[in-house]
Amino acid sequence: MAQAKPVNKMLTANRLRNGETLYYTAAGAWSQYVAEAKVATTAEDAEALAKIGAAAYAANLVIDVAVIDVTPGAEVRPAHIREVIRATGPTVRTDLNKPVTPPQR
Amino acid sequence: MYIYDKFDHAITNERVAEFSQQVTRRLKGELSEDQFRPLRLMNGLYLQLHAYMLRVAIPYGTLSSVQLRKLADIARKYDRDYGHFTTRQNIQYNWIKLDQVPELLAELASVEMHANQTSGNCIRNVTADQFAGVAGDEVEDPRIISEVIRQWSTFHPEFSFLPRKFKFAVTGAAKDRAAIQFHDIGIQVVKNDAGEVGYAIYVGGGMGRTPVVAPLIKPFVARSELLSYLEACLRVYNMHGRRDNIYKARIKILVRELGPAEYARQVEEMWPLTRAAGVDIDPAEEARIRAFFAPPAYETIAEPVASFVDAKAKNRAFARWVQTNVHVHKAPGYGAVTISLKPIGGIPGDASTVQMHAIADLSDKYSLGEVRVTHVQNLVLPNVKQADLFAVWQRLGEIGFAEANVGLVTDIIACPGLDYCSLANARSIPVAQQLSTRFADLDRQHNIGPLQIKISGCINACGHHHAGHIGILGVDKAGQEFYQITLGGAGDETASIGTLLGPGFAGDDIVGAVDKVVNTYLELRQAPSETFIEAYRRVGATPFKESLYGRR
Repeated sequence: MAQAKPVNKMLTANRLRNGETLYYTAAGAWSQYVAEAKVATTAEDAEALAKIGAAAYAANLVIDVAVIDVTPGAEVRPAHIREVIRATGPTVRTDLNKPVTPPQR
Repeated sequence: MYIYDKFDHAITNERVAEFSQQVTRRLKGELSEDQFRPLRLMNGLYLQLHAYMLRVAIPYGTLSSVQLRKLADIARKYDRDYGHFTTRQNIQYNWIKLDQVPELLAELASVEMHANQTSGNCIRNVTADQFAGVAGDEVEDPRIISEVIRQWSTFHPEFSFLPRKFKFAVTGAAKDRAAIQFHDIGIQVVKNDAGEVGYAIYVGGGMGRTPVVAPLIKPFVARSELLSYLEACLRVYNMHGRRDNIYKARIKILVRELGPAEYARQVEEMWPLTRAAGVDIDPAEEARIRAFFAPPAYETIAEPVASFVDAKAKNRAFARWVQTNVHVHKAPGYGAVTISLKPIGGIPGDASTVQMHAIADLSDKYSLGEVRVTHVQNLVLPNVKQADLFAVWQRLGEIGFAEANVGLVTDIIACPGLDYCSLANARSIPVAQQLSTRFADLDRQHNIGPLQIKISGCINACGHHHAGHIGILGVDKAGQEFYQITLGGAGDETASIGTLLGPGFAGDDIVGAVDKVVNTYLELRQAPSETFIEAYRRVGATPFKESLYGRR
């Protein structure tokens, strides 16, 4: 039997009210910090994320919902440069960039 | 400049109220995103990578100082203290919150501005020569007819759902500073043999996936019949444009498929109907609009202006800035100043709240309260006395906008690219910044001479790469940013589409490749007076290909 292809996915969207980039977390919330994203490592979990995204879209909480690839590793990092920029901000205005994790309180 | 009448105010305010209700309904969940999206786009509101983006219309690139101050204040209050001037002479804000948009639009309306028709399949903001009204070579101020077209096309019921977006550009002079042949309809103000002012009409130009230089469809349309002719042009397109395929929906495809002669014939056939419908502007209304663009009362100033001549003689940096950034004015003793929004290593077209305020102040003090936006993403103070140019230059230096590079290799157009735009495949701005830094030396820039680099982050070509002497197109190659080079494009009266040189370059290599292209030009030009585009047209692409890829 052929082995299943490895899966590394996370759920992202933009908040309807203010457009900010969001990630769905393991705690079942939406976070603006990519490091808090829940990573699905099975096809079933990725499918579950897609359903959560569709429900949040239908509930008018978020828009532009997508399940995107994650680079495997210790840190949660989007695979594509588009999503890296989306997660942290424009590379040409680093003064406006947001951290990948919440600031320490 | 044009001042709103009660009808302009009424429709603008009504639209703000209508869209405010739609935003409220969306936030309450009474409208779905599928229902809301076309509504927000009609009001210039996009969703980009980081937030909503609002595109505010600046009709034919003309602003009052009051309006520029409001744009600056909006950047501070609703955005992150800056705005981005675009190739359609508009301004975009990158960090907009949906729930604040109604309040923002009401503030815009208070200074006779809006974001209507800056997106969607309708007639977009009309662009024009940034030196309108002050250039000595123009037949007539192109803003007069641009304003007429703005009013005719605003909320035009027949043209609110065209097959695709539709863009007008107008030049009042034979020297085309508005890239009219890269527009759906380009208009040149001309005089016929009898000395009457009318309009030459080019239809079916554009950039994007299928770049086309617009053919001349009608060499002369009388002033009194322009709107009925344009309405006939649009109606033929609206009926026969390809709604079945978004990539073939622009008028350029229709004109190409029919052939310019057949398209023109169908317009002629339609014209009597639109003429009979009474579309053409009433002469009294035309005169009312025309009066807003009457030249201001310029002082009588004898040239040469001694203090100006003296300042140039004593200060080489100022003299160089005058050489590149001050355009000849039709009124003796005046100049039109182009403020380069391209500081070395900066972001093309970006201006902060503080910078916009400073320019508004300069405009009030030295330029009769008017500012222009150019399609090259610069600003213009159109009416500066030569005696005041030194003071203007000094103040611009204090806000970082005194770069003496207009028309030179570092005066680069760049779209927002993958740093902001959800459509982009690659970043544009960092390439512009690196090129600007590479070519920073002003002696070298002046030695290279006029050279336009234009960069787009995707095939939609917002950065006009097809019309660049050197065009750069960002592409996604297996998840990596690559950049293709085209040469020989031009957006002026000798309009041409750039030719792709060969395979793209990785982000780390594109600046070196452009440097090679420039050095090749320097080696093969016949004299310093032979510009890049002239040399390219003489020798073709081969020497440049060989310098980049070797002999094959």
